[in-house]
Amino acid sequence: MRAARTAYPLKWRIMDALEGVAAAIWPARFRRATPYLMLLPAVLLVGLLVLGLIQIADASLRTLDTTTFQFSDDYSIANFRRALTEPLFLVVAQRSLIAALIVTAVTLVFAFPYAYLMVRTRSPGLRKFLLIALFLPFFIGQVVRAYGWLIILGNQGMVNEALGLVGVAPMRLIYNYPAVLFGLVQYMLPFAVLMLAPALTAIPEELEAAAGSLGANWVRTFIHVVLPLARPGFIGAGVVVLTLSLTDFAVPAILGGGSHDFIANAIYDQFFRTSDQGLGATLALMLVALGSILVGLVFALFGAGTLAMGRSRA
Amino acid sequence: MQEPFRAVASREAEGGREIAVTVRNVGMDFDGVHAVKNASFDLPKGRFLTILGPSGSGKTTLLRMIAGFQTPSSGEIFINGEAVSAVPPHKRSIGMVFQRLALFPHMTAAENVAFPLKMRRRDARTIPERVERYLELVRLGGYGGRRIHELSGGQQQRVAIARALVFEPDLLLLDEPLAALDRKLREEMQLEFRRIQRELGVTTINVTHDQREALVVSDDIVVMDQGEIQQKAQPIHTYRQPRNAFVANFIGVTNFIAGTVRAVSEAGDVSILRGDLMLAGKIGDPVNPPAEGDKASGAIRAEQIRLAGDAAQLSKLDCMLAGTVTDTIFEGERMVYEVACAAIGDEVIRVFDHDPAAHTQFDIGESVFLGWNARDMLVFR
Repeated sequence: MRAARTAYPLKWRIMDALEGVAAAIWPARFRRATPYLMLLPAVLLVGLLVLGLIQIADASLRTLDTTTFQFSDDYSIANFRRALTEPLFLVVAQRSLIAALIVTAVTLVFAFPYAYLMVRTRSPGLRKFLLIALFLPFFIGQVVRAYGWLIILGNQGMVNEALGLVGVAPMRLIYNYPAVLFGLVQYMLPFAVLMLAPALTAIPEELEAAAGSLGANWVRTFIHVVLPLARPGFIGAGVVVLTLSLTDFAVPAILGGGSHDFIANAIYDQFFRTSDQGLGATLALMLVALGSILVGLVFALFGAGTLAMGRSRA
Repeated sequence: MQEPFRAVASREAEGGREIAVTVRNVGMDFDGVHAVKNASFDLPKGRFLTILGPSGSGKTTLLRMIAGFQTPSSGEIFINGEAVSAVPPHKRSIGMVFQRLALFPHMTAAENVAFPLKMRRRDARTIPERVERYLELVRLGGYGGRRIHELSGGQQQRVAIARALVFEPDLLLLDEPLAALDRKLREEMQLEFRRIQRELGVTTINVTHDQREALVVSDDIVVMDQGEIQQKAQPIHTYRQPRNAFVANFIGVTNFIAGTVRAVSEAGDVSILRGDLMLAGKIGDPVNPPAEGDKASGAIRAEQIRLAGDAAQLSKLDCMLAGTVTDTIFEGERMVYEVACAAIGDEVIRVFDHDPAAHTQFDIGESVFLGWNARDMLVFR
C-alpha cells in the first residue's frame, strides 16, 4: 500500500482532479483555441496601450487656448513646432539624452565585474551575498532610495559631516547634474547586472582556461574572449539601462531638485502644472520616438543581443 | 615471465633519453579528500603517455596540475627540468585539447589556430602561412574561413588539435577530447592523434577512461585508481602483465577466482585452492607476492579460456573446469559465453569464442568444459 502511494504521488492525483475539472469547463474540441486564449490578456494589454497612444496622438494635435483653457477642435502641429523650437525643451532633451548615454556607459562598466564575480565565484556564500545585495534595492523603491541619497549627501548629510571632521568645508553634493547621474547609475546597476549575468553564464569557463593555456594573460583573455562573447549581454543590458534612464522621472526630480529636469519631468509639468495636455502629449510622443530610434539604432548596429532570445547568430 | 616481451622492451629501451616531464610525489587534496596521492613518473621527450582510469580516479586532476590550472598540495612537477608550480598556465609552453574542445565560437577556424601565435606575439607576417600549414597537418587545408559552428564534430576536433600544436609547445595535453564522439569517429581520431604525434614528435599526455584508446595510441600507460598510480608500463605489458587485480580488471575482460594460496615456488609458480579445486598460476605482482595461506584470487582473461563440448579436446591445457552455459552474447566479431561452474560455487566465468574455423555454437543450458594454461592465470593478493 505504501509502495503504491509513492508510485502515484498525491501531487499527481491533484493534477488528475484539476485536469478533470478543466475538461468539464473547456472540452477537448475547444483545444485548438487554447493558445489564443492564453495570448488574450497580453493582446488586451497591448491593445489598451495602443488606444492610449492614439489618444495621446490626438491630444498632441490640439492647442490650448490660454484665455479660455479650452482645447481647439481642429488639428494643428503647433505643439510640435513649440517642442522643437523652444530652447527649454531642447535643453531638457539634450540633458536627458546625454545623461542616458553616460549612465549606460558607466553602469555597464560597473556592472560587468559584479556580474562576472557573481557568475564565476566558487564560493556559494559569496554568490548568495552578491545576489541579495543586488535585490535589496528593489525592495526599497526608487523614490525612497532617492530621498535616502538626499539624507546622505545633503548639506548636513553624513558625507559632509564626515568631511567636516577632517576639516573640509561642506560641499554641495546634491541638486546638480552629477548627483542625478550618480543616482541613476546606482538605480540602474542591478538591472544591468541581472541582464549581464545570464550572458556570462553562457560563456564556458573552459574557454577562459583554453585562452590561458594558449598564452593569453587575463587582460588579453578578457579582451579577446570574454568581452566579445559577452556582447549579447552588453547589448541587452545597455538597451534596458538606456531606455530606463532616458525616461526616468524620480531621480532627476529628487536629486536634481527641479533644476535638472529630464523629458519625463517636463511632460509632468505640462500635464499637471500648466495643464497643457496637448503639449504634454506632444513631448510624450517625441520621447517615445526618441527611445524607439535609439533602440532601433542599437539593434541595427549591434544586433538584438540577449533580447533576440537566441534566435539570431550575430 | 618477462621472456615473451623482451623484444618489445629492447626496441623501446632508450638509453638516457631526455626527460620532458617529471611528476614527483604529487598530491592534491580537495577539502581533505585526496584526489591525487603521491603520484610520481618520468616522461621522456617525444613519447605519448596515456593516463587511464575510471571517473574519479584523479587522472584529470593530475593533468590539470601539469597544465597549471591547479597547484599541487604536495610534491612538484618539472617540465624540461624546471619546477613549474609557480608558473601560470599562459607562461608554460603547453598545448591543450580540452574535453569540450573550448574553441572560440566568435572566431573562424583560422582565427582559432592563429590565436596562440597572436598571444605569443609572433611576427604577424608569418602567421597566415603557419596557420595554413597546421590546418593542412590536420587535413583541414582550405577550411580556415569556416566558423566553428559550420564545422562537423570531427573537423572541430582537428581545429582544436591544430590550435594546440601551432605554437610548437614543449608538451601536448589531451583531456579526453574524444569522449563525446561516436565510436567510428573516435577510432579514426585516435589514429589521427597517433599520426600527428609521430609526425611532430611532440611529447604528449593523454587522459582517458577508454582502455582501447589507451592501448591503441600510447607508448606508455599510467593506470590510476582512487588517486593512486597503479601501474606505469607499455600497453602490451599493461595488458599482459597487470600489476594488480585493479589493472587486470579495468583493462580487458577478466575472470577472478578467489581461493587460498597453497604453494609458492621460487620460479613464480603459485597454486590456489578453491573448495576441492586446485588451480595453478603465476605470481601477478613479484614486488608483493602472496604467501602460503593468504587469500588470493586468480585472474584469467576471457580470451585465454578455451571452450569445448567434450573434455578430451582440452587435454593439452593445464586447468579444466566443467560448467553450464547460462547466457550467450553475440558481439559480431566474437561470441561471449557466460558459463556457471559448479566447482566454484556456480560463479559465472566469461569466455570469448572467436574461432573463425569451427563456428561451434553452444546453447544456453548446454554442458561445456573450460580450459586454460597455468601461465595465463595471474594470482593477486
